[in-house]
Amino acid sequence: MSGKWTYIRKRLFQMIIILWIIATILFFMFRLMPGNPLVAYIEPTFDKEQQDILMKQFGLDKPLYYQYIVYIGNLFRCNMGVSFFYGDTVLNILKRNLPNTLYLTIFSLIAAYIFGIFFGILLAWKRGTKFEKAGNIGTIITRSAPQFWVAMVLLVVFSFKLKLFPSSGTSNAGVIYANELQKLTSPDFWKHLFLPGLTLFIYLQGLPTLLMRSNMFDVMGEAYVEMAKMRGLSKWRIMFKYAARNAILPIATSLALGIGTSMEGNVIIENVFSWPGLGKTLVDAVVNKDYPLAQGAFFLIAVIMLFMNLIADILYSVLDPRVSV
Amino acid sequence: MKKIFSILLVVVVVAMLTTLSVCSSSSSGSRVIRKIPVITEPQTEDACQFETTKLLVDAMKSLGINAELITMPWTKLGDEIWFNRDKWDITAWSFGIRPERLDPQEFIFNVFHSSTAKDGYNFEGYINPEYDKVAEEQRKTIDKNKRQALVKKAQEILANDVPILFCNNPMQQFVYNTEVFDSNSVVDMPGLGILNYWTFININPIGNVKDIILNSVEDFKAINPFYLGGIADGWAAELIFDRVMRLGADSLPKPYAAKSVEWTSDTECKIVLRQDMAFTDGVKVTADDVKFSYEVPLLTDKSPAFKPFVSDIDTIQKVDDYTLIIKLKQPSASFETSCLSKMPIAPKHIWEPIVKKLEGKTDTLETITRLDKNLLVGSGPFKFVGWQQNEKVIMEANKNHFEVPKVDKWICIINGNMESTLGMIQSGDINFLSQFMGDGSLLKEKVDAAGNLKMASTTSIGANFFAMNNRRAPFDDVAFRRAIAAVLDRQAIVDIVWKGFAVPNDSIISPNLTFWKNTDLKYPSGGLKEAKKILKDAGYEWDKEGRLLYPKGKIETLKSNY
Repeated sequence: MSGKWTYIRKRLFQMIIILWIIATILFFMFRLMPGNPLVAYIEPTFDKEQQDILMKQFGLDKPLYYQYIVYIGNLFRCNMGVSFFYGDTVLNILKRNLPNTLYLTIFSLIAAYIFGIFFGILLAWKRGTKFEKAGNIGTIITRSAPQFWVAMVLLVVFSFKLKLFPSSGTSNAGVIYANELQKLTSPDFWKHLFLPGLTLFIYLQGLPTLLMRSNMFDVMGEAYVEMAKMRGLSKWRIMFKYAARNAILPIATSLALGIGTSMEGNVIIENVFSWPGLGKTLVDAVVNKDYPLAQGAFFLIAVIMLFMNLIADILYSVLDPRVSV
Repeated sequence: MKKIFSILLVVVVVAMLTTLSVCSSSSSGSRVIRKIPVITEPQTEDACQFETTKLLVDAMKSLGINAELITMPWTKLGDEIWFNRDKWDITAWSFGIRPERLDPQEFIFNVFHSSTAKDGYNFEGYINPEYDKVAEEQRKTIDKNKRQALVKKAQEILANDVPILFCNNPMQQFVYNTEVFDSNSVVDMPGLGILNYWTFININPIGNVKDIILNSVEDFKAINPFYLGGIADGWAAELIFDRVMRLGADSLPKPYAAKSVEWTSDTECKIVLRQDMAFTDGVKVTADDVKFSYEVPLLTDKSPAFKPFVSDIDTIQKVDDYTLIIKLKQPSASFETSCLSKMPIAPKHIWEPIVKKLEGKTDTLETITRLDKNLLVGSGPFKFVGWQQNEKVIMEANKNHFEVPKVDKWICIINGNMESTLGMIQSGDINFLSQFMGDGSLLKEKVDAAGNLKMASTTSIGANFFAMNNRRAPFDDVAFRRAIAAVLDRQAIVDIVWKGFAVPNDSIISPNLTFWKNTDLKYPSGGLKEAKKILKDAGYEWDKEGRLLYPKGKIETLKSNY
């Protein structure tokens, strides 16, 4: 147990170092881009004094090394600065948008993994049949299809042509949710979530399906499964009680990793569906040359990915006593 | 030994010749005009500007000019052109649509008067004392017909001097759903199109849907009476905050929050406010609010974006609760448009404490960006209901306004995906397409196929052009500028690049401002033949390789900086 805590402390320390490197890269990447980042926000009628005030307001009048020290110091205090575009703190803006990304990710991930596990089991059981071949091809196609294309197809078919689902946002035109609870309990919200969620689901289900199928092949060759077959147990009981329970271990850890990696899909899906989450905020920040917000969004995504990596590692050692940290 | 010496000699000669040819492309000491970088935004940022610039570069090459297309992202381009005025040669540029540009003052004076050449809108550095006189005169000529003659004269001078290459005025396309709205209630303003204040007030819903649902590409930044936010912020601010005057459907200013605006002299006007106006928190609108709203940018540094609009004001005197007298420093023909119709009336009881808190600090009112009901209190025809970041803004009709809108709500949906937006207007998720950055011909196709949609196109008052740096040779020579203007095929640009959704222009004044536009301009547009004639007459020549040479006695002394 003390070994486990030592491992966790070591990994947390490594995470901090990696985050510091990422923060440094982000800082220099945006500041070394050509031009004045405030050109988009300086009115041509501003005189030099007014421009200097604006530069001072955003801390851009100081030397680069000073800006860097302030930036790293602020990050430790969870202060990511002020958005050029909104004039609000980056943290406030990300706090508003992060829940939408989490709802989309968690909904799609859970659905994808439940589906992937069962479908992977089925494919393994039907090994060698036409069903398995078709299932494999379908899974690979859905996994490799570009997400923006899948998103646009679903949008055109289900929203514009069939008018079954809304095309953008989290609510109907005249509705503004008072709080997150009202949002989550509103059928309107789930209707809006469906298409972006389905798009992400189509992409995500590929990994657990193929992983589960592959793990099942490994497990089904084990002696205890053969023993269960010889004892005359039913097909379903062998599949679920004996084989799947052992094959599922790597799936559990990939779920944790999946939260991190699905962030990459969210950027595209959120922009196609105008889903107001972290991914859309990130793209808008880059387009608007809103460097503090872009930095903050990138950094938050990095934190989530590293954190979920750590959870995945710990989870695996908890689920499988044969694996020690 | 001999062989080695010969090889060395050849190498040295080749090196010398190469060095000479490299030097001749920069500051050569010869008559060959140096390489001219033509700057534009990249294709991904502005495809039309990029393609237009390619056509200009080809046109310049046909004259023997060594022109080269250089792309820069906007953050760098804006910086270079605005703050390094001695460095660049020629750049693509455009002026956007702002209602105050319906008055010619902004373009005629701010863009071309010599006083703004150092750090203002005259970034091309055009200096002409004769022009300055005309621009100054029109600025203070109150008589409309006399002013018209001066504005036309100014355009004549510009058409002759060609300080910038006029190109075109883009057309704006708007679409609305005819099953939702009565077409007769949509108001088309010259220069602005149907997306204007009067449409928002008068548009009449005829079906079950009682709200106007429009779109914006960009999220709302700040709806603030002391800050010029983004485009969508401007729409909302116009509806939440009243103005003393408004530009009518004919684009001319008329009293609005004011019962009357009376000019007692060329520099003094008496404003009598309506007495039936109140802010949405119940507090009555009085002369104190108007005085406060104008004095914040005038007397403090807390509203820098609005300062230029009040810069002509000398004093504001409150006579009684509903009467003000504004004295100007000098007569200003555009005052009603650029100030009285522009400045929002902010509630003093809400904003004065905020201004006081900022005293002594470098922060301005532009840092007040929160979109909240308690702050966004105005007296306008709509009141702010709520904002969902990156998603929508909702406003509802103010039933206590003297001009109650016919719709119940004004809802703006944020969607940066143009394909999705096109689908939304077809499916009815939005019923008024207010911003479309995609292919105009595709939009027209979809509208024609839909049956329940109507498209309204208008030539905008914004302009696309190329600014030539009049400070740097050869652009300091009128003949050279006229030759470039002659060889640039503006109609081809409209046909090829804009697919017909723009109008070629020979002036900074948009063709649909019919009262101000001079239609008798002798702008050079005779193609390559005319361009070559202009250059020959000015003493330019071509060498054996077809390269354009300065007139005899003049050599290239500058170098390309990009």
